[in-house]
Parts: sequence; structure tokens; C-alpha cells
Amino acid sequence: MAKGFSRRDFLKGMGIAAAAGGVSLTGLTRLAKASPSRFQDLPRLVYIYPGAPQPDVQRVQDALSEYMAERIGATIELRALDWGVYNDQIGLINASAEVYDLAFTAPWINNYYNNVNQEYLVPLQDLLPSLAPSYWASMTPATWEAARVAGGIYGGINQQIFVKPFGPYIRTDILEAVGLGDEFANLTSYEDLEPLMAAIKEYVDQDDTLTHVTYNLSPLNVAENWGFDPQDALLVVRSTDENAQVLIYPQTDEFRQASELIRRWYQAGYAPQDVAQWGEMDAAWTAGQYAVRVSDIVKPGGNAETEARWGWAVASKAIAEPLLTTGSVTATLNGISSTSANPELAVRYLELVNTDPVFFNTLCKGLEGVHWEWADQDQLLVRPANGAASFGDTGYNPNTDWMFGNVFNSYYTDPTQVGAWPQTAELNRNARPSPVLGFTFDRTPVETEIASISAVRTEFGDPLGSGVVDVDEGLARLNQALLDAGIERVRDEMQRQIDAWKSA
Amino acid sequence: MDTDRLMNWIGRFSIHLVVLILGLCCLIPLLLILSASFTDEIALTRSGYSLIPSQFSTSAYEMIFRSPQAIVRAYAVSIFTTVVGTIIAVFIMSMLGYALSRPTFVLRKPLSLFVFFTMLFNGGLVPYYILMTQYLRVQDTIFALMLPYFVVVYYVLILRTYFAALPGELIDAARVDGAGEFRIFLTIALPLAKPALATIALFTALNYWNDWTTALYFIRDPQLYPLQYLLYIIQSNAQAMQLQSGVGVNLGEVPTQTTRMAMAVLATGPAALFFLFFQRYLVRGVTLGAFK
Repeated sequence: MAKGFSRRDFLKGMGIAAAAGGVSLTGLTRLAKASPSRFQDLPRLVYIYPGAPQPDVQRVQDALSEYMAERIGATIELRALDWGVYNDQIGLINASAEVYDLAFTAPWINNYYNNVNQEYLVPLQDLLPSLAPSYWASMTPATWEAARVAGGIYGGINQQIFVKPFGPYIRTDILEAVGLGDEFANLTSYEDLEPLMAAIKEYVDQDDTLTHVTYNLSPLNVAENWGFDPQDALLVVRSTDENAQVLIYPQTDEFRQASELIRRWYQAGYAPQDVAQWGEMDAAWTAGQYAVRVSDIVKPGGNAETEARWGWAVASKAIAEPLLTTGSVTATLNGISSTSANPELAVRYLELVNTDPVFFNTLCKGLEGVHWEWADQDQLLVRPANGAASFGDTGYNPNTDWMFGNVFNSYYTDPTQVGAWPQTAELNRNARPSPVLGFTFDRTPVETEIASISAVRTEFGDPLGSGVVDVDEGLARLNQALLDAGIERVRDEMQRQIDAWKSA
Repeated sequence: MDTDRLMNWIGRFSIHLVVLILGLCCLIPLLLILSASFTDEIALTRSGYSLIPSQFSTSAYEMIFRSPQAIVRAYAVSIFTTVVGTIIAVFIMSMLGYALSRPTFVLRKPLSLFVFFTMLFNGGLVPYYILMTQYLRVQDTIFALMLPYFVVVYYVLILRTYFAALPGELIDAARVDGAGEFRIFLTIALPLAKPALATIALFTALNYWNDWTTALYFIRDPQLYPLQYLLYIIQSNAQAMQLQSGVGVNLGEVPTQTTRMAMAVLATGPAALFFLFFQRYLVRGVTLGAFK
């Protein structure tokens, strides 16, 4: 009974096909993930970190797994979450006790202190010395102390530049044009910058492409510039004060002098009249609209990095004293999840990634000959493999070495960078520890006050920082508002905590 | 008479003026984005946004179309979830609404309570996340994008009210003619409820099309990013990178302003055109709901 293929049969078939299509679509993506591995029976460490998806991540992951399997008997899964959603997603993963082993954590993303309070991380102070001896020995005890919270160290510190020697950056073409190279090289304070700014202002007025001497990058907001270790909520500790007395930053003489300096710059027309945003500032720098970045981190290799990132060759000069602070040491940590089944293996992974340059650079830059190749092996200088124009075109370039481990093991990617790591390490070693290095303020008793202080800072502090208000008047208003917001209670609480921390 | 006409004219004029201003408020931001996406990057920084590009350039689009897979893929995901998801969701919700509207249904009261209880109380984000990822295990599948909107209680409420208003005699007559419950639902109730179904389908489709939070929670695989989420990722990545440039670390490439604008145009443009075509159905559907 051969029956014709009716319309109904056709529709039925389509429905089944569509349903099957949906199923196979999900099936395929599952399949692509579970690619066969020779080390299936070894434990696999899941490492979660922020980063843009990289096309070749699977190849790198396989290579890393093979390397790890021989050395510590485990493999790795790299799970990069997009930058903008990292906080949300890792928050859900932690809250729902999803199983993973390692994650990037810091005070500024995937909040380290919050994670410690919620017991999402494993304490490492006992595991590190025995399971990761070289890594543990690679940093001074004072440095490790900086990551200590409530008696425990909950994150592996990535060595990078720990000090923040802030200072001005200036475009070399303009510096040459005004002929003040020596004066710039001999700067010791922001006041010394004034004659330079005046000379550049004259140059700017004659040049069509330039619109301003500088943009809104106020040295006032960075308390390190004036000899302080900034704490929470506009409170500071003088970097030379062994007694660690907590001061209200806007009440200090330095703050007043800095405000007056910025006010003078503003009145001389060095900066735009309206307060610019960070993003606009970088775009305007790229567009070549201004000559000086007043207060940025000056570091070895920093000039090359700035040029590579935004264009324009620059010179720079550190003004702030290199100071080792809690915030700068804990800026990049890798924590081990309390849901991890293999915390010991995860610690051994930290040892490997922080002390083995081959492993570390594979994670950072991909495979030799595929993603990078030696430009000069003696100098540890690499270039994009197979004639690719940039590392971004090679298929694997997370470009976040500082997130994965000790950056001093990283291969150089630019000839002008060569030798920067030993210099930076030297800078770290010679930095003076802040009197409150290792102290972290517990905000909980004064959270309301801190919230109002932050609002006051935006309303009355920022205008001073960009010089748009009269100093006497603006400072009086800021200080009054801070008193009203309860800054003295916060100061007293912080002092109490610091005293307790010092005597412990 | 003349004053009447004048008043009338003034009334109409002021209404038109208000509508005109509101319309411009909606239109100008879109035009600004369109214009910015066709502006040269450096020129955009120098002279800011304007309605007419200060220096015409298509470099942002060239940049995107060098590797358009991500956008094409995201379009496919969004279209698939919207079409398939809407069909399934409307079917499920109408079945539920119909069952709840039938006075002869034994479990009507307890089921109603069960459904409407969730409108007032819910477990919150973390239990939702745990349910989806650890019990249903749908994370990183296209199903995760559709599941959350299969039953929206508010729409079930609308459908139930609509079904309840259908004459009961019709259904009784169908039963007398020998039709079973399912047949009555499919051949009698559903065709009569077309206006309500159209409205709910439209709302549901818009939900699916505009949804990015579901992807934020459950999708890690870039192959399964829907369009709105892709846009959100691009914007929020750029913001995260700029915010953190203060920590003294290099966060990699930030997409330029013009590229971001061009992405927005490519993502919203076709959807906006689509909306223009379907606008009249939307208006009709909304008013239909209001009369019942």
C-alpha cells in the first residue's frame, strides 16, 4: 500500500528534524568540550580567571596538562570568564558551592576579603612552605604578611611591581620641542613640574593638534604622591610614621598644598574646564590632544608599555617614594577554592606556575612555534610566531601575565623591555615597607559612615582634585562634610584596629 | 466658533508637540550611535558626537566584518531561542491557562495556588542557579536560554482570564459531539483565543530577544552567546578594563568607541526594522487584551 507523502507527514518530519537539530546542537557543544585526553584518570584542576575567550585555548590547555601530568600528576582546565561578567559569574559559582580548584581573586575583582569572610577559600599558610617551597621562599615574609587576613593567608601572591612610584609621563617629541629634557629628568616634586607646564602651555597654544597640557589625572587623588599610605575612606598613614597614626587626608598640610598647586594649574588653563572621564582621557591621549599624564605609575619598561598601548613615545619620572603597601601586594592573587577536592595539588600547581618559566610562559603566551618564537633567546625576547603582525593575531594571547603568576619569569615581547624584570624585582626588594603593611581594615563596624564618606568624596573632593573650586572654600566644605559623615568615628575605629593589629 | 476652532487647534498642536519631542528623544540617541559608528576614531575623540559624522569612515565596520562569526553566530542563537522558545512557551502557557480556566478541573484550586504563589515568593538567585546547574544541569546548552520563560505567571493569568470568558456552551457542545479534552482545547479553545495568543507570543518573543541575564548566569560557551549578551559583554569588558587601568596592570585591548557603536548598530538595526513591520500587530494585540 504505497501511500503518497502527505503534507502532514512532511510537517511531522520537519518537527522531528527541528527537535533533533536542537538536541544535536547542544550535544555537539558538549562533545567539543570533552575532547579525549591521554591523562583522563589524573585529577583535573579547574582554574577560573577573567579574560577574553582565546581560539586556541584547547591546544594550550592540552600542552599544559601534559607538562603538569609529568611533574605533579594532575591536569588543568582553563576556564576564562569574560572580564565584564567575571564578578557576577564567580559570585554565583562561589555562592552555589560549585566545584572548582583555583580562581583569580583580588581586592578589586572577585573580592578577596569577601571570599575569605564567606570561607570560599582555603588557608594556605601551612600548605605553601611544605608543598611550594621555592615559591614561598621567592618573596620576603613581610610580603606574604600582606595577604594575611584574620590569621590566614588565603591567596598565592603573583610577583609583579609591588610598589607604586607615581610620577608624570610626558611625550618626548614635545619635551624635545620645548628643550627641557634635563629639567624633566631632574624633577623631584610636582612643584618642579610648574615651569615645564608653563613652557608646554606656550607650545600647545601654537600647535593645532594639541588642545591641553594635561587631562584630568590629578596627583591629589593618589596619596602616595605626598608620602602617605592610603587606607580606606580618605584616611591615610604617613609612610614614615612608625606609630602608624591614622590621619584624615584632607586635613593634612600636604593635601592643602597639593590642592593649591592643582588650582594654579587649572587657572593657568593646563587642563580641560570640564572634568573628564578615565576612558575619554586615554582616547584623547591616543588622539594626541595633550602632552603630560601627570600622575601614573612609573616603572621599568613603563615607557615602552605606554607607547605600545596608546601610541606616542614618552619619558617618565617617578616622584612618589616606592612604598610597599597591603593594597599593592594583594592586587593580584590566585586563591584555592574550599570546594576543591585536591587543594594540595592546587598548591603544587601554584609552585609550578610561579617558578617554572616554561610552564608559565606557555600559559601566558601559548606554544613555541605556534603562537610565539624566539627573537633573541639569550635576552629572553620573543615575537609573534610565523610572521604574524602582533600577538593578538596568533590565536592565543590573554595578555595578562600578571594574573597567572610571577611576571618576572615572563619572556619579553618588546626589545625596550629587556632587563625590566630584574630592575622591577630590585625596586620591590628595596621598597620601604609601609608601617601598616599587612594590615587590612575591617569595614563592617562603620559601613554606613564609609558609604557617606564616599559620596562626600565625589561631591566635594573631586572638584578640589580637578582644581575647579577655590581651595579655602572647597577644603572647608569638604572637611565639614566629612565630619558630618562621621569620618572621626571611622578614624578612631581604624586606629583601634591598627593598634590591636600591631600588638598582636 | 472661531475660539472653539482655535482651542481645538492649540490642543492638537500641543499634543503633537509633546509626541514629537518624545519621538525625538527616542530617535536622536539611535541616530547618534549610527553617526558615531561611521565616524573616524580620532575625529570622534576630538570633536565628540554629532548627528552628522565629522569625518566619514567605515573602518569600524571593516574591523568587525574581518571576523563576523561572533555576530552571525549570536544572531543564530537569538533567532533560534526566540522562535523555538516562543512556540513552546505559548503552547505550555495556553495549556496551563486553559486547564486553570475549566471549572470542571479537579485540581484547579491547588494548581492555581501553586502557580500564583511563585508570583509573590521566589527562592532568589542562588537557589535558581543551583536548580538550573546542579539538578537540571542545563548550563551551557541552548535549552538554558529558553527554559526560564516557558511559564510566565502573569501571561498565564491573562490567558486563563481569556479562556474563562469563552462561552461554556461551546465546550459543552463539543463534548456532546464526542470530542476529548485535548481535542476541545486544540480545535475549539485555541482558535478562539488567537488574539490573546498573539499578544502573549509577542511579549514572549520580546522577552527572549532582549534577555541577556539568563546567558549571564548559565552560558560560558562563547558559541552560545545570544546577541544581547554579546553586546553586553563587549560593553562591560570595555568598562571593566578602563576602570581597572588604575591598578597598574595592562588589561589588553579595549575595543574602540567606534567599534562598539558599530556593534550596537549591527545588533539592534535588524531588530528595529523587524519591529517596524510587526508594530501594527503589537498595537492591535495590546488593545485586544485591554477590552477583554
